[in-house]
Amino acid sequence: MRSGLLAVSRVLRAVSTTALWLSGAGLVAMTAIVAYQVYMRYVVNASPPWTEAGSIQIMSWFIFLGAAVGVRERFHMGFDVLLYALPPAAKPWLRSISDVAIFGFGFGMLWYGGELAIRGASVRIPVLGLPQTVTYLPIVVSGFLICLFVLERMALRLAGEPVDADAVEPTLNEAS
Amino acid sequence: MEYWILFGVFGVLMVVGTPIAFSLGIASFATIVYLGRPPVVVFQQLNSGVSAFTLMAIPFFIFAGDLMMRGGIAARIIAFAGSVVGHIRGGLGQVNVVASTLFGGISGSAVAEAAAVGGIMIPQMKARGYGADYAVNVTSMAALIALLLPPSHNMIIYSLSGGGRISIADLFTAGIIPGLLLALALMITAYIVARKRGYPTEPFPGFAKAFQYFLISIPGLLLIAIIFGGVRSGIFTATESSCIAVIYALLVTLLVYRTMTWSAFVHCVIGAVRTTAMVLFIIGAAASFGWLMAYLRVAPILTEAVGQLTSDPLMVLLLINVLLLLLGTFMDMGPLIIITTPIFLPMVSSFGVDPVHFGVIMILNLGIGLNTPPLGPVQFVAAAVGKISIWAAMRSVWPFYLAGIIVLGLVTYIPALSLWLPALFRG
Amino acid sequence: QTVLRSSDTHPDGYPTVEAVKHFGELVKERTDGRYEVEVFHSAQLGQEADTIEQTQFGVIDLNRISIGAFGTQVPEATVTQLPYIFRSADHFHNVLDGPIGEEILAAFDAVDVVALAFYDGGARSFYNSQKPITSPEDMAGLKFRVMQSDIFVDMVGALGANATPMPYGEVYSGIQTGVIDGAENNYPSYDTAGHAEVAKYYSLDEHLMVPEVLVMSKIVWDGLTPEDQEIFRQAAKDSVAHQRELWAAQEEESRAAVEALGATINEVDKQPFIDAMKPVYDKYVTDPKLQDLVARIQATEG
Ligand code: NA
Ligand code: NA
Repeated sequence: MRSGLLAVSRVLRAVSTTALWLSGAGLVAMTAIVAYQVYMRYVVNASPPWTEAGSIQIMSWFIFLGAAVGVRERFHMGFDVLLYALPPAAKPWLRSISDVAIFGFGFGMLWYGGELAIRGASVRIPVLGLPQTVTYLPIVVSGFLICLFVLERMALRLAGEPVDADAVEPTLNEAS
Repeated sequence: MEYWILFGVFGVLMVVGTPIAFSLGIASFATIVYLGRPPVVVFQQLNSGVSAFTLMAIPFFIFAGDLMMRGGIAARIIAFAGSVVGHIRGGLGQVNVVASTLFGGISGSAVAEAAAVGGIMIPQMKARGYGADYAVNVTSMAALIALLLPPSHNMIIYSLSGGGRISIADLFTAGIIPGLLLALALMITAYIVARKRGYPTEPFPGFAKAFQYFLISIPGLLLIAIIFGGVRSGIFTATESSCIAVIYALLVTLLVYRTMTWSAFVHCVIGAVRTTAMVLFIIGAAASFGWLMAYLRVAPILTEAVGQLTSDPLMVLLLINVLLLLLGTFMDMGPLIIITTPIFLPMVSSFGVDPVHFGVIMILNLGIGLNTPPLGPVQFVAAAVGKISIWAAMRSVWPFYLAGIIVLGLVTYIPALSLWLPALFRG
Repeated sequence: QTVLRSSDTHPDGYPTVEAVKHFGELVKERTDGRYEVEVFHSAQLGQEADTIEQTQFGVIDLNRISIGAFGTQVPEATVTQLPYIFRSADHFHNVLDGPIGEEILAAFDAVDVVALAFYDGGARSFYNSQKPITSPEDMAGLKFRVMQSDIFVDMVGALGANATPMPYGEVYSGIQTGVIDGAENNYPSYDTAGHAEVAKYYSLDEHLMVPEVLVMSKIVWDGLTPEDQEIFRQAAKDSVAHQRELWAAQEEESRAAVEALGATINEVDKQPFIDAMKPVYDKYVTDPKLQDLVARIQATEG
């Protein structure tokens, strides 16, 4: 049971790392696109019309993928007011409440993002010509990953793994 | 009841320690379900909230800051700045404010400014023995200067919300003196706090040495000139300048200093993605929360209540200030300007308050709201760059809040601070 | 008693906002207060693309929207966005008040909204900081910020200018610093966005007269009794005259305001501009049904 759980955890770790790398690639692509617009407009005087919409789409991807990674790496910012006031034994309980909330919102992203994506299939994004579905896919994918990552943490907590054993203050650890 | 759900769920989750973004999101989700309307709107707004081109300045400036730091550009600039101001206590705090004032002259976004100046200054201030909280608080408050100095797109929003009869040119000029006043107040505060904390000073190394540092740091300093000149001469927009900063930092570290390695580059990219994802996810969830607040008419209801309470002009201005500070705690600047201007402006106009003057009050006031939790995007960016919790920043932010509020008081009760310059320009 | 929420991106007091309020009063009166309409102006509930989705899902009940925001979702409506398709305000009104207007309104059923009436959105023209535009040659090499719309981009390209994407909020500074030379819009927007302060030349080429449309959520509509549906339709039709009056007054006021700011307004011989639009029409009007619609619009008097 426990070893099976840890194996799943390793897989999810790889998923999370992949998502992070894709996000990074998105940032680099966005840099290139905006620079390309400046060059084409100022030097060539022929602005490509798709750069604004295109870079926004990419930004949306890397924010939502990154947000999912943040659930696993716990780099989202919060106020741990009550944690200072209550005894340490309360911590897993508080964290469990948070995890339920995170799961709920992640599920909403998956479900309702899916509704938006489906309706968007018949709508074209102006200038890009892609279906509107593309706009909402990042939320759907991110919601799915958030659900996975938070279920993983809940399962590990139940199995007695020290998932809540970090510093009280959220850390923004460097890439490792 | 729906008001209790929205704010109650949010409050409870925040206290429990749920991340801000999820607290905002679940509170909105619960409220829309209670109202019996389709919840899709919460997730639609989560997405539209981050789908703005101007927000791109956040990832770009954070990325550029990381590149400059790892590539050694920042260290060389700070060595130069340190040689010049190092003998003043809290000297880098002063440098931070001056840098913010310069950036404020080309960018209208306080969030972008916190990312730009904070990205370079905070890590170096920490490295030189300044407290991370001090660095974060100086950065986040100084970032508000960008809202007051031209250009300022929020002033354009204000003009539009006021019925479009308020000259944008006048608003732009009106913000200059209050903006510089805020810079001055923050420099004084930064000095006092630094003295109190006994931040290190270093002896002046002499002009020769300082000049040597200056020469080494020229490629880095040129970035400021390039951004400033590029925006002013119409080569790129303020938002695009953030991307140019990335490209330039990359070129300098690759070709001039030859310090950038592939692995350092990857570190910068991944680091920037993490910080950006966290901050922008909050901004997206806040858009959902803001949508619910608009739908439930929270701002107009509170605003009308102020009108009923008193008709003494000074009291009304005071109450408006307090109310805006409170609303600014939860809501973002743009929507608040749009919602409250049509109600407040006629009210204060009837007492003879000039619309241009009121615009400056409003921008500064809501600007401070960008730095107050639970919803303070500027503070979030600064804290994320400084790698400390909001909690840690909050504990020592009070002197800086005080400086901001004193300036707000001056700007509110001395109309000439805002109106003298536009009148002078009109001739 | 039911409160219906209606979205508008324009500020309070704007002709479309006032027209929907007027519509709400008529509805309230004719349903004996069973229905009320509350207008959320200034894009409080989101930009047009967002509020269209909200209307379709039944999150909000009513929506005053520019037809352009529907993009290519409603092909019949796309036709009204073709450059220079309307020759004048009279032509515009004759088309929309007649059977063609009814046909276009009915076409919105396909996207889960019920279109109730058309309002005036005025004529959009080019403005810039460099010189008066009198012929397509004057456009050559100038950079214009346009809305994110394929037809707009192609139109500006066909005139030899450079269509530049830019967020609306950056247009003022963009013109001021010279990143772009100008943009295009109707008098009221040119005035209230302050663009007249930085782009002095407003050239009346009137390339676009975009109808504004009041739509209701299909989900909400289906919940009304047939009698109430009729009341809503009629109230919407009855609010049109009021809106047109307000619009005309607003245009006059804005025109005077931009002139007071020192804007130079010049008339334009439209024919060379119309001639330059052939490739745009060839690209967007390929369906025989739409070709027929275009022909009928052009054959309408006015
Ligand atoms: Na500024
Ligand atoms: Na705040």
